[in-house]
Amino acid sequence: MSAEQRAGGNGETPGGELVTAAGAPVLGSDPFADAGGPDPLDAWLDALDQLAARGHAADDGAADGEAPGPGLREEPARTPSEEATATAVEPTPQVGDAELPAEFRRLGRLVGEAPARRLAALVGRLEGYDRFGLSRTALQQAFPLFYALYRLYFRVQSSGHEHLPQGPALLVANHGGLLPFDGAMAVLDVLLNTDPPRLPRAIVDRWAGTLPFVNVFFARVGQVVGTHENLARLLADGEAVLVFPEGVEGIRKPVTQRYRLQRFHVGFIEHALRARAPIVPMAIVGSDDQAPILFDVKPLARLLGLPTAPITPTFPWLGPLGLLPYPVRYRILYGEPIRFHERFAARAAEDPSLVRALAGQVRRSVQGLIDKSR
Amino acid sequence: MANVLVTHADLPLGRRIVKVLWHDPAVQRVVALGEGPVPRAFGTYRIGASPRLVYERIDLARQRTVADFFKSRRLRSLEVDSAVYVPRHGAAPEGPPLVAKVPARTAEARLLLHHAIESRAIKSLVALGSAFVYKLAPGNANQLTERSELHLDPEVAAEIRSWIDCDMLFQAEVASRRLRVVLLRLPTVVASGGYVYLNPALSGPAGPRVRPLGFDPLCPVIADKDVARAVCAALRSRAAGVFNVSGRELLPLSMLGRWTRRPCLPVPGPLLRAAAAGAARLGRETLHSALDGPHLRYGMSLDTRRASRDLGFEPRYRIGVTRAGDGVMRLEAVAG
Repeated sequence: MSAEQRAGGNGETPGGELVTAAGAPVLGSDPFADAGGPDPLDAWLDALDQLAARGHAADDGAADGEAPGPGLREEPARTPSEEATATAVEPTPQVGDAELPAEFRRLGRLVGEAPARRLAALVGRLEGYDRFGLSRTALQQAFPLFYALYRLYFRVQSSGHEHLPQGPALLVANHGGLLPFDGAMAVLDVLLNTDPPRLPRAIVDRWAGTLPFVNVFFARVGQVVGTHENLARLLADGEAVLVFPEGVEGIRKPVTQRYRLQRFHVGFIEHALRARAPIVPMAIVGSDDQAPILFDVKPLARLLGLPTAPITPTFPWLGPLGLLPYPVRYRILYGEPIRFHERFAARAAEDPSLVRALAGQVRRSVQGLIDKSR
Repeated sequence: MANVLVTHADLPLGRRIVKVLWHDPAVQRVVALGEGPVPRAFGTYRIGASPRLVYERIDLARQRTVADFFKSRRLRSLEVDSAVYVPRHGAAPEGPPLVAKVPARTAEARLLLHHAIESRAIKSLVALGSAFVYKLAPGNANQLTERSELHLDPEVAAEIRSWIDCDMLFQAEVASRRLRVVLLRLPTVVASGGYVYLNPALSGPAGPRVRPLGFDPLCPVIADKDVARAVCAALRSRAAGVFNVSGRELLPLSMLGRWTRRPCLPVPGPLLRAAAAGAARLGRETLHSALDGPHLRYGMSLDTRRASRDLGFEPRYRIGVTRAGDGVMRLEAVAG
């Protein structure tokens, strides 16, 4: 692996062909195709493969299109009631049976063929950096970690994927849990359960854009700072956009308010009406349990310029480690799309009282899904 | 456009524009202005008794010399009907501060605009501006249209302020009936071989640069050849106004620096702010804008739909890297 490839996933072919920012060659072959030389990760994967060979043999017969990777085992069998309320963690197996591209084979061995094939299908459509900073290289690198969190740590169960529409859509969810793992899990769940795979673009607070490292990571994995221009552009591009209308109030609500939706910001309704996009209400259950806030020291937060200064059972007593989420089970439920644009013209977005009323309707819908899922 | 005047033709972007105009069959003559001696690259274009390229050596920031030139018989005989304002860039000297400490770039823009309006012969003026005039909000996703807010905060670095001043000078005349003014707002301009222009963070000669630790803003880039094509498109078009012009690629600052032999070393933000404040106090404005500012933290992308629609400009060149004969990685712009 060349230094150029290590640094940014970009490099050149030995013949001196031109390679773009994406690594997609302008005048030559794929620079990522040959890493060159043995890779320690490959050796480690080989060893894991051998250890897990017996488990795989059993899975091969049962799994419908997905073979879990050696490090990521299938979750234990669920109770019938769990199956009834939330099912289908396994991705839909319709991405295609084509051979996994070479650059995804290692990922396939790590997380399983089906998720890797989904990611390959998604990033195959990307080139370089999009206008919001999304990078295919960063997605490929971040995917195994978040997939492990999805399958092993939060053990996400989800249902209602049939309500996810094609084309532009606003996914409206509740927010909670100090750190935005709910957003990450929702994004991954949509990616794993739509065909063709879609990467919903999560809208994040402007404050996140000022944080060193965080701003770069968020941008590279597809999250977008919430401005009206960005939201309008995303919907115009036909993207699915994940919004948390509670905003920061959602993640800093105390444990006594858990799963009680806070006041909704209403801008998303205006954009849904203007872009003629359906709204898909979502309930994410588990996020409010991952870091229950006992008390929010608001004066300290103001002093430090932070959105919240929480006290949880583990923070600040365990230092930064206390911020890590508890391994709670996530349940994600998608509701039926609400198509305001079929009832109202785009100019209805100019009517504040109507917009507020519609936002209230979406809020009640999300709250109903939460109550149903708990 | 028949006879086109180009400022700063001795600098890299000016040379490129002159060459493209010279090869344009719609252009009869190119009048190239520059502060330095005739560039060697122009040698083959100035052959013959009546060459299509005329080079005049002139200090564009000096009011007297510019006024003398624009009122001269020589210029009248050349029958210039269009002008292209190429700003001072690259390794060109800053120039001494003029009256009331007006930067050389602003003074040149003001003088050229004034004399172009006064001269009845010049009908079109195409000015190259910078996209770094926009105010950047936190995050990497600043979708900038021509109507986006300019960065008019008082704390803006003087170098960027001079870009804003030039921008506003030209903007004030876009509705003029006597002169058709087209302002092209350019992002970072790159050229084959790893050259980079008009980026406050990477200006000056090759060598290490700094950027705030934990930030890697997205920079739109455009090849110098595409800039020349955009100028030609603007000269041909009948449209006036402000246009964002950009290439297809967006590169993080770190990658752009690496590709242009200006590796950006991450340094803690507070240290950079202190250093920038010191540079500003010492009057090192170029250094100030290279050390601190939103352009080092927040990314942007330009909405170029207006240029596409009204000027008919679409970028043609892709930006990438290739290994040169000496084994060094070099940035390359290739038609494709």
